[in-house]
Amino acid sequence: MRKLIKTVTESRVWRSFFRHGWPDNPLDRSLVMTTNIFFHLHPVKISRKSLRSSYSLGLGVISVIVFGILSFTGLLLMFYYVPSVERAYSYILLLQTRVPFGQLLRNMHRWGAHLMVIVVVLHMARVFYTGAYKPPREFNWVIGVVLLILTLAASFTGYLLPWDQLAYWAITVGTSVAAYEPLMGDSIRAILLGGSEVGQEALTRFYAFHILIIPGAIASLISLHLWRVRKDGGLAAQDAVKIEPEALQGTDNE
Amino acid sequence: MNENTESFSPQDRQMKTYSLVELVKGPTTMVDRGPDDSIFAFPMVAILEIFLTLGVILVLLLMSLTVNAPLEDLANLYETTDPAKAPWYFMGLQEMLEHGHPTLMAVAIPTLIVLFVIAIPYLDNSPAGAGIWFTSKRGKRIALFSALYALIVMPLYIYLDTSFPIREIYRGQLPDFFLNTVVPALLMVVIVLLPLLVLSRYKPSAREITMMLFTVLFTSAIIFTLVGFLFRGPGFELYWPWGMPEGYSPWDNL
Amino acid sequence: MSEKEADKSVPRRSFLGMAWFATLSLVAVQGLVAILKFINPVPTGGFGGFIYAGKIEDFAINSINRILAGRFYISRTDQGVIALWQKCTHLGCAVPWDESEKIFHCPCHGSTFNEVGEVLGGPAPRPLDYFPAEVSEDGIWVDTSDPRSRNHHDPSHMTQVQG
Repeated sequence: MRKLIKTVTESRVWRSFFRHGWPDNPLDRSLVMTTNIFFHLHPVKISRKSLRSSYSLGLGVISVIVFGILSFTGLLLMFYYVPSVERAYSYILLLQTRVPFGQLLRNMHRWGAHLMVIVVVLHMARVFYTGAYKPPREFNWVIGVVLLILTLAASFTGYLLPWDQLAYWAITVGTSVAAYEPLMGDSIRAILLGGSEVGQEALTRFYAFHILIIPGAIASLISLHLWRVRKDGGLAAQDAVKIEPEALQGTDNE
Repeated sequence: MNENTESFSPQDRQMKTYSLVELVKGPTTMVDRGPDDSIFAFPMVAILEIFLTLGVILVLLLMSLTVNAPLEDLANLYETTDPAKAPWYFMGLQEMLEHGHPTLMAVAIPTLIVLFVIAIPYLDNSPAGAGIWFTSKRGKRIALFSALYALIVMPLYIYLDTSFPIREIYRGQLPDFFLNTVVPALLMVVIVLLPLLVLSRYKPSAREITMMLFTVLFTSAIIFTLVGFLFRGPGFELYWPWGMPEGYSPWDNL
Repeated sequence: MSEKEADKSVPRRSFLGMAWFATLSLVAVQGLVAILKFINPVPTGGFGGFIYAGKIEDFAINSINRILAGRFYISRTDQGVIALWQKCTHLGCAVPWDESEKIFHCPCHGSTFNEVGEVLGGPAPRPLDYFPAEVSEDGIWVDTSDPRSRNHHDPSHMTQVQG
C-alpha cells in the first residue's frame, strides 16, 4: 500500500498536479501555500494575533463563504426559474411543492441572502472599530463599501423574482425612492424598470442584474479586496501595535 | 529622473550595474518588532476555514429546515399589501421617509452618509492604533457613549415626530418646503452633531471624532431599520411588534 | 534637438501618444453612450391608451368608482369628473379608497388624499396625478398615456358634465 502511494505521488502525472510533498515540514508547508490557487491568498506564515477569533470574528471569511453558498444554490434554482410575469410565480410553487429539495434550496438561498447582508455589515463595523482602514489600507476600505452596496443591490434585485405581492410592492416602493434623485432620478428608475411601472420589463432586467451583472461584479471585487489584504500586509492585527505619543494627545486631561 | 534613464544607455551599463529604484521612508524591518510570533499558515488556516464553512452551511441548513421562505399571493398591481414594506435592510430608509421629504430623507442624507463612510480613511489617516479594538480605553468609552446617546435620542425622535408631527400640525399655515425639508434637516443635523460638541471639549483625535460620528450614524441606522421593520403595522403606524392588529406579523416580510 | 525647441513643440512621440489616447477615449465614450441608449427602455404597449370608463349615469355625484383596467378612479363631484391615477405620489403604492372615512388612504406610509386628490396628511409631496378625461354622449373616455402631475388641485383639472 505504502509503496503504491509512493509510486503514485512520485509519478510525473501527480507531480505535474501537485508541486509539493506531504506538508509536514517547513519546505512543503511553504510550497503548499505558494503553489496552490486556493491557498496562495494566504501568506506562508501568519501571526497568531490575526488568527485570534476575538479580533476578526471571522466575518470576512464568512462573507465569502455565504457568497459561495448563494452562488451555488442560486445556480441550482436557475434550473427551474423562468423570469416571466405569467410563469415565475407558478414555477416557484412548483419548486416548493414538487421538486425534491426545492423548498430547502429556496430557503437556503433566501436566508443566505439575509445572512450575507448582516455579516457584511458586521464586517464593516469590525473593520471600523479595529481601525483596520488606516493607511495603507484606505483604498481597500473603499472597495469594501462598494461591496456592501453591491450586496444590498444583489439582495434587492433577487427580491422581485418570486413575483408575489411582497416582491411587487417592495420593489415598487424601493424604485420609487430612486426617482426622487435630482436630475437623473427618473432615468435611473426607467433604466432599472425598463418602463414606468414594475412589469415584465422590470422582471427581465432584475433577473439579468441578479444572476450575472451584480454577482460578477461582487466576485471580481472580492478578488481585488482579498488581493489587497495580502498586499497591504494581512490583517491590521499583525502590524506593530504601538501607539505614537501624538495619538494619545488629550488623554491626559480627562 | 534624467540621470536614471541615462544609466540604462549602453555605454553606462558596462560601468554601473545598480541604480536607485525608490526611496522608502520607514524603519528597517526589525525595528520595534517583538519576537517573531508567527506560525505556518498550513494546516491551521485551512482547518479554520473548513470548520467555518461547515459551520455556516450547518446554520443555514438548520434555519432552512425549520423556517420556510415567505411566499405571498401572486403579484396584484391593483391592490397594495397593507402595510407595504421594502426588504428589511431598506426599512431604515422607508422609516426615514416617514419623517420628511423623500429628496432629503431617501437621497440627500443616505448619499452624505455613504460619502462620509467612504471618506473615513482619508479623514482619519494616522496609522497609529490600527488593529486594536476601539484603539484605546478612551475610544471604547466614546463609542459606548455615542451608541447610548443614539439609542435614547433616535427612538425618542421617531416617537415624538409620529405623535406630534410638525408637518401635520402646521399643514397649510407654513410652506411645505419649510415643514417637510428645512425643519427635518435641521433636526437631523442638530441630533447628529450635538455629541460632537461635547466631545470637542476634550481635544479629540481624528480617530475619536470619526468614531463618534460613525457610531451615532451606525446605531441610528440600526434603530431606524428595527423600528421600520418590527414596529410598523397596518397603515404604517407604530405598534408593539407583539401587538399588531389584523393578524399581521412583521416577520412575514422577511 | 535642443532644449528650447523641445519646450515649444510637442515631440512626435508624445503627440502620437496623445492622439492614441484621445481616440481611445472617444471610442470608449461612444461605446458607453451606445450602451446607455440600448438599455434605455423603449415604449411598449399595454396600459397607456384611451380607456372607456362607462356611461356618465353610472357615476353618481359625490361618488368614487374604481376602473381596474385603467388603474384610475373616477371621482365625480358637483364640479365635474376627474380621473385620478391610483399611484401614490409618494412612493408609487396603489392607493385604495376608504369608503368609511371618505378618503384615499395609502397603506405604505399613511398618506391621505381627499376625493379630488388633494393631500390631507402624510408624507405625499403633491396631490394624486390625474388623466385627462373626455365626457361625451356615450360616456367617459380617459387618456391613460398622459398622466398629469400637479402641485395644487385646481377646478380646471376636472371635466365639466353637461346637463
